[in-house]
Amino acid sequence: MKKYLIICLLASLMGCSKHFLDENPKGQVVGSNAVSNINGLDAALTGAYKGYLRTWAQGFLTSAVQGFAMGGDDLTTIPGGNKADFREMDQFDVTANNDRISQIWNGCYKAIQGANNVIGNAAKVQGDQTQINEILGEAYYLRALGYYWLTRGFGNIPLVTDVANGVTPDELTMKPSPPTDVYKVIESDLLAADSLLPNTKRDPGRPNKGSAEALLADVYLTEGGWPVLDNSKYALAAQWSKKVIDNAATYGFGLADLNDLWSQQNPPDITKIGKEEVMAFQTNANYGGSNNAFAGASTTPPEEGGWEDYEAEINFFNNFPAGLRKDLTFHTVFTKADGTTVNWQNSTDGHPYYAKFRVPDNSLYFTNVPVYMMRYAHVLLIYAEAQARADGTPNADAYTALNGVHTRAGLTPLSGLSNDDFITAVVNERAWEFAAEGTTRWFDLQRLQMVEQANSAPNRSPLENAIIANPITKANYWFPVPLADANINPNL
Amino acid sequence: MKLTAILLLTACMHVSAGGFAQKITLSEKNISLAKVLKKISAQSNYLFFYDQDLLKKAQPIDIHVKDADLDEVLAICFSNQHLEYTITNKIIVIKSREEARDPAMPPPPAFQDIHGMVRDENGKPLAGASVKLKGSARGTSTDADGNFTLQAPDGGGTLVISYVGYRTLEVSASGTINVQLQLDESKIENAVVIGYGTQRKRDVTGSLSTVTAKDFQDAPVVRLDQALQGRSAGVQVTTSSGSPGGNVRIRIRGANSLTGDNSPLYVVDGFVGADFTTLNTDDIASIEILKDASATAIYGSRGANGVVIVTTKTGTKGKMAIDVTSKYYSADVIKRYPVMDAADFAQTVNARYAVLTPSSPPRFTDDQIAQFQKTGGTNWQNEIFRTAPGQEHQLTFSGGSDKTSFLVSANYLNQKGVIDNSDYTRYSLRTNLTSQLMKNLSFRLNFAGVRNENHNTSGTNGRGGSLGQALAWAPTTPVYDANGNYILHDPTSSIFQNPVALNNETDNRTNNTNMNLISGLRYQFIRDLTLDVQFGLNYNNTQGMGYAGPDITSNVPGASRSSNENVLWQSTSNLTYKHIFNHDHSLEITGVYETQKFSGTGFNVGVSNLTYPAQSYNNIALSASSNVGSGYSEWALLSMLGRVNYAYKDKYLVSASVRRDGSSKFQGSNKYSTFPSAAVGWRVSEEPFMQGQNIFHNLKLRASWGLTGNQGINPYGTLSAYVTDLDDAGSIFSPGPGSTIVSGIILGNPGNPDLKWETTEQKNAGIDMDFLGGMVSVSADYFVKNTRNLLLSEPIPGYLGGYSILSNIGRMDNKGWELSVNVNGFTSKDFTWSSSANVSFLRNKLVSLGAGKPFIEIDPFILQPGSPIGTFYGYRYLGTWKPHDAAEAATYGASPGDAHYYDKNGDGVINTDDFVQIGNSLPKTSLGWNNTFTYKNFSLNVFFEGLLGMDKLNYSYAFGMLGSTDAKEILFSDIKNRYIPGTNETSNIPAFSAYPGNSYTQSSRFVESAAFVRLKNLSAAYTFPRKTFHDIMSVKVFVSATNLITFTHYRGIDPESNSSAPEGNINGYEADTQQGVDQGAYPNSVMWTFGVNVHF
Repeated sequence: MKKYLIICLLASLMGCSKHFLDENPKGQVVGSNAVSNINGLDAALTGAYKGYLRTWAQGFLTSAVQGFAMGGDDLTTIPGGNKADFREMDQFDVTANNDRISQIWNGCYKAIQGANNVIGNAAKVQGDQTQINEILGEAYYLRALGYYWLTRGFGNIPLVTDVANGVTPDELTMKPSPPTDVYKVIESDLLAADSLLPNTKRDPGRPNKGSAEALLADVYLTEGGWPVLDNSKYALAAQWSKKVIDNAATYGFGLADLNDLWSQQNPPDITKIGKEEVMAFQTNANYGGSNNAFAGASTTPPEEGGWEDYEAEINFFNNFPAGLRKDLTFHTVFTKADGTTVNWQNSTDGHPYYAKFRVPDNSLYFTNVPVYMMRYAHVLLIYAEAQARADGTPNADAYTALNGVHTRAGLTPLSGLSNDDFITAVVNERAWEFAAEGTTRWFDLQRLQMVEQANSAPNRSPLENAIIANPITKANYWFPVPLADANINPNL
Repeated sequence: MKLTAILLLTACMHVSAGGFAQKITLSEKNISLAKVLKKISAQSNYLFFYDQDLLKKAQPIDIHVKDADLDEVLAICFSNQHLEYTITNKIIVIKSREEARDPAMPPPPAFQDIHGMVRDENGKPLAGASVKLKGSARGTSTDADGNFTLQAPDGGGTLVISYVGYRTLEVSASGTINVQLQLDESKIENAVVIGYGTQRKRDVTGSLSTVTAKDFQDAPVVRLDQALQGRSAGVQVTTSSGSPGGNVRIRIRGANSLTGDNSPLYVVDGFVGADFTTLNTDDIASIEILKDASATAIYGSRGANGVVIVTTKTGTKGKMAIDVTSKYYSADVIKRYPVMDAADFAQTVNARYAVLTPSSPPRFTDDQIAQFQKTGGTNWQNEIFRTAPGQEHQLTFSGGSDKTSFLVSANYLNQKGVIDNSDYTRYSLRTNLTSQLMKNLSFRLNFAGVRNENHNTSGTNGRGGSLGQALAWAPTTPVYDANGNYILHDPTSSIFQNPVALNNETDNRTNNTNMNLISGLRYQFIRDLTLDVQFGLNYNNTQGMGYAGPDITSNVPGASRSSNENVLWQSTSNLTYKHIFNHDHSLEITGVYETQKFSGTGFNVGVSNLTYPAQSYNNIALSASSNVGSGYSEWALLSMLGRVNYAYKDKYLVSASVRRDGSSKFQGSNKYSTFPSAAVGWRVSEEPFMQGQNIFHNLKLRASWGLTGNQGINPYGTLSAYVTDLDDAGSIFSPGPGSTIVSGIILGNPGNPDLKWETTEQKNAGIDMDFLGGMVSVSADYFVKNTRNLLLSEPIPGYLGGYSILSNIGRMDNKGWELSVNVNGFTSKDFTWSSSANVSFLRNKLVSLGAGKPFIEIDPFILQPGSPIGTFYGYRYLGTWKPHDAAEAATYGASPGDAHYYDKNGDGVINTDDFVQIGNSLPKTSLGWNNTFTYKNFSLNVFFEGLLGMDKLNYSYAFGMLGSTDAKEILFSDIKNRYIPGTNETSNIPAFSAYPGNSYTQSSRFVESAAFVRLKNLSAAYTFPRKTFHDIMSVKVFVSATNLITFTHYRGIDPESNSSAPEGNINGYEADTQQGVDQGAYPNSVMWTFGVNVHF
């Protein structure tokens, strides 16, 4: 008995199997097998989109977009409160630890990383080539979009096109690439996307062939201006935008009714506005990480319990041509909780607000409003400007394009302008049409080297936040590399 | 006393249950008494205490017995000796017999029978206590019911009543004696629990401290953290959430890790890695806190943060004891913020806008203000706080036969929180069983089941929580509208939800069920060699429920459910050899083989826009969208460890241990790590040159060194895994609320295959001193901890996808010293006073963040080598610009009355480039002072506890004083003392102005000292003695107040409360790096407790 017992006790000292310490990563998606089939590749593509679409953390779903574009003369913010991140852009005193700037930087690069992962692994995937092409085309589009925003925002930037494979010392110390190198990648990506994408969007929130061509036209237009200053690109911009206009029906593009577009519905009716969306990101208020938070409370004055993130500059509002578009663009009479109203002139903030992104209940900050990366009106105005600049005089198609947008705004058609006046009219039209959307005005001022002029008296009202940069120079055209990255890589 | 000092324990450490029934067989001729006693000890499991020299003089004996009783055998052994012996609870103490009486002396006095009863500190009968007549050989011991009878001289004599581990009591031998013995922690021969064994306290070479049940029996503690708080040097306990069952941070000798868990390792009855929240404090017999590396290295890769060893109560042999306790609680918040009433507030708002927007009409009309003066408006703090009741009931019964003893304990606790609609309920049941199965084999089984139900107690809701909003909603806004519905939007101040609605429409529950089973067998091969085999199983199930109603979600009510199940297995085999060679060489060798395996699985679902909010989380199918996830986690640890303790002549003590841990969390050669330690001790008081002095009863010097690891590394850290949860990786491709989310994958943190344990090297020097015959004992320790291979989440640049990679690159140091003093009071028959005080000083310093990394900012904190963690980083506030500064102020766009900040780089612009270190949130000093007075049947406990030398960033105060974007108006009364041009130009509270700098929060303006000392417990008790109830039972009634008085300059409600969770990862760093921000944190309460204890 005793011996038997001792043997039992000693037996417990014996070890377990030799696999006792093996790690079993159940429940973890690891390794390259994750993207070895079409479903995995598509999941990785969805993840690439997420870089642009993570509410609060990164991307285009919060007023970081408006913050990024706040150097434009259409946008400003309140002088106090917790809006320093916005104010820095408005006052041309952007610090490297500005959180809104890094949200766009990180979002674009996260999307690029995801796109690199898809592009680098697509060749290994077996299956329906049509599906693979579609996925690959979207990935190229997403990568081009990211680099386009990054190089316009930050100028010289790290250019990464390889599949992420750990983090190497070379990558941690890589030198930034100048815009000309970045644009080469953007152009080739968009040409690849054009060849791979179908004519019809897979979903409303994805690009099709026309989306890639329209973005390529926009890229060429930008390259015609600062900092690349390559005049030859205007012709390409005109050529590619014309291609989109000519194939608008094929691609499902067109101008929507302005009332539908800015219906303040949450969301607007896709059947009525879908054609306007050359490229839009879709959102859903039911998902905390996927709602649009720059609409609703973000753009609402304090009288209505809003966050006061961004508002309209006074002179921009005053110079905005009256009409349907002005009425739909701005919110000027604020209703207080007790039901009384106050005009913007007498309001706490003393500025008009934007009505474009209002929703029925403006205390909501989680909305279903889509985020426009490019509307069809944009394509028309790219063509109008590019054609005039390339050929030295606007042709009839250019007038048609400009007037398509102009008359929709409730204005009388333009005609008989000099080339310079025509171009000025287009640039103004772009400012008004895309006011506060973050995609256009700031970048137009930048590529046309108008930042200094637009932000000085008499153009900038003395009631706006004071400019800190003295004076504004080309150094203020680009933001500093976010501190987090600059701290790691001394070469940035 | 000298005798005690040189008593020698000759038998093995654990005395197994055995009885007088033990039969002894011996056949020896001319054998020394020492040898025969050893044989008796081996056969009977009785221990002998004796003076070596005394036994050398003993006569050799012949003995031949078979199956004889112990009494019989001892009678033979001592029949011809000048020695006598007493048997005290299986311990036989041998002393020199009194010299034979001189026949010339007068005849002995007449004797009479004295009867009496001896009780323990809890009033339970004490069996086996020694009762002796002072100055004579006469003695007896108490029976199972604590009764004794002894013959004493008529009309005189003194009884000496003693019991191992208790203070010896002397009473005059007359009438019926009824005495109660008090525990004596200072007795250096007491055994203490160390890792994987026990050791006599006087042999201990490491730094450890003990808290026993008696230390906290007078305070209404319900959880282990409350039992530890302020009671042990080197242990810091901060109640970051004052809610019942709320969060707490426990640190032993500081935090060692930036990214890993800094909590101590908890070991309950040998189960390693227990959860302290699952313990009922009524079940705790003692708590040992292992602090230095020589004590903790035996826990290897999990020892760096110190180890808390909890031993639960066991039953004792004898009549069954039944103990019933009921407590009733009543709690109130300790303090409130001074806020303005509605009329004052409205006038202040008008004054503010008269400056900001002079052209606009006043916000409030005179008529409105007059109306507010009548009604007073809404006091939001009154609307959310309440007087919170609670109750607790405890039932224990214990007892045992010769071979088996048991203890069964059941507890029910329900405490409401001082913030409405928050409460905590606990049910616990414990059964401890031990049994001597065979002569050399004992068995034990401990089972504990606990259910914790936390309801809205998380208490770290920050600005958006009900307390945060109670400090933001205008007093001019009523709670309800005319129809009795909540006012959903504050038209005047806050942009967030109605505080009362937040309380009532939030329903967050965590129901945790934990079952712990420990079963062990101990086999004694020979007297010196014991094998102990233990299996443990811990099962933990957590059900989470969350709900936010329509009025606090802009009519988009949401709910969530989660379920987690964790299982942790443990097997421990412990072989111990203990022997004394040649009287002088005491050796103990321990070898342990241990394995642990953990697996956890869980799922969660969150839904939005519930169709029927009334169903809340109970029917989440009825909702617009859902977000689901599930996960699995697993780790295994395989360990081998050994320890040698050696003592020469009880003077020179040496201890060495080594543990080798193999972990599944690492790869390749990093899988295994070795953690050695060594310690030496010198009991100076035993040296011959110390024998003449009367100062030191005991004087011991200690020194130790060792390496330990940090347990806080998650499984799969070496692997690169994709992020898959829908919020972070799923995207929407179709418009609108009807669209479904498409799941995706995102490259997550790259894994680092080279990960290894953080290694903490700790050196410790200590001294233990007992004075005044042991009445005063003092212990002091100095330690230095250097943690290397510090795990750091190295951020990956955004351009490479962001996130971070965990690497072993940094270094951090902690050093400090600790002092504890115990005074075992002035004991007389009626009055006793005992007191213990401790103070510890701690300095934390980050040494390195890896090459070329000067600092890491984690707003509002900075990690900077040379500075401690928890350092606040922001603007340095220099007060307001004064009139004579007008010209300089203007260069910053400011005017007199505006906020004046230090312009670090002197560029004339105040921006984040001007941030400097503005304070530190780590307490540098912690102290505790516990006093117990007893007078006859009254007892009084007075316990002070304090933390000094730390700052708090008071964002609650900031948001009540700024009138910024989220809380647009200023509520706090302090604003009345602001700078007013021409009227009050000395104030450092900025004037009303549009200057943006006036609303900066990340500034030293809101950094305050959070040092405090508080009367943690004040309690009084009265015990009705047994005779009051015909010896059927004793009854104790008590009343106590917790947190009655707090001495602090902190402006917030509670200097302890903390808005970030005390544990876990925030922004990639452990919570320790980001403690000390108070923003609507759940505060502590003043709690009154009334209770009654009945002991049968």
